Amino acid sequence: MKILVTDDSKMARKMILKSINDIIGDNNEIIQATNGEEAISLYKEHNPDITFMDLTMPVKDGFEATLEICKYDKNAKIIIVSADIQEGSMNKAKENGAIGFIKKPINPDNLESMLNTLSLI
Amino acid sequence: MKERLTLNEDERDCLQELMNISYGSATAAIADIIEKFATLSIPNIKTVSLEEFKEYIKHKLNHDKSHYVTSQSINGTISGETMFIIDENSTINLGKEFDLEEDELIQEELKDVVLEISNIITSTTLSKFAELIDASITFSPPSIKILNSSEEFNDTYVNEYSYIIIISTVMKFEDQNIKGELLILSKDNSILFIKDALNKVLEEF
Repeated sequence: MKILVTDDSKMARKMILKSINDIIGDNNEIIQATNGEEAISLYKEHNPDITFMDLTMPVKDGFEATLEICKYDKNAKIIIVSADIQEGSMNKAKENGAIGFIKKPINPDNLESMLNTLSLI
Repeated sequence: MKERLTLNEDERDCLQELMNISYGSATAAIADIIEKFATLSIPNIKTVSLEEFKEYIKHKLNHDKSHYVTSQSINGTISGETMFIIDENSTINLGKEFDLEEDELIQEELKDVVLEISNIITSTTLSKFAELIDASITFSPPSIKILNSSEEFNDTYVNEYSYIIIISTVMKFEDQNIKGELLILSKDNSILFIKDALNKVLEEF
């Protein structure tokens, strides 16, 4: 599976990757982006199967990146991983095209259950 | 000693992420109370000397505006102080969000609102942060002052700190000009504890 992980924090990306490895193994192609703009560019280059996206990032935030990616690819599967747990944020991310929302710090059980619900694994 | 108190790139990244998580919980709590959507800034982390901190405050406070500054001691495995700084215009807008009438937008009423907000932000953020690094902390009740310059700030606060971690985060509310900043001042021994705790977290990944 090709997975794009977008977060400005190296540690946050590592946390997501560890959870992914624990759930679906480490036989995946991982692409990492450090802001929304990089994510858009890497998405177009690699067409990942799943994208994990932080919201609060420099250069371009996750809301805008999600919107732009979903305009480019209506079938994009973007899961938001964020500490911004306001209902308004979740709604805005979903309106922009995200298919799921996971609260930080990431809980592997929640991630697994979401990936199952969305039939991504 | 200075070297031991300085955070390296990985430690700063880790602290920034943990504070991001912690502050996210606080923003959600406040947004629920005033029923407005809030935007979080990326936490800005700096370890500075007292002199550098005073320069930072000078830059923040010397703009011909009054600022409401709350202060709350932290004790336990991390000890120090947290401060919430909000300018007068933001405070008035916050007061309106709490349904204060025009004739109630006076300093005593506004102080009460800022104290309440500051208490929620500080306790939610720090409790979450302590949980994430396996620390145990208690808080003193917050106190508040209205300050008109950085000189007043420096005379009132900070002289017992030699190095300070500035964890600066700003929350903005949709359609409202409300901007507040949280600062965490940590004592030397706490910085060492935080560094060790961050390295434990980093080792896990």
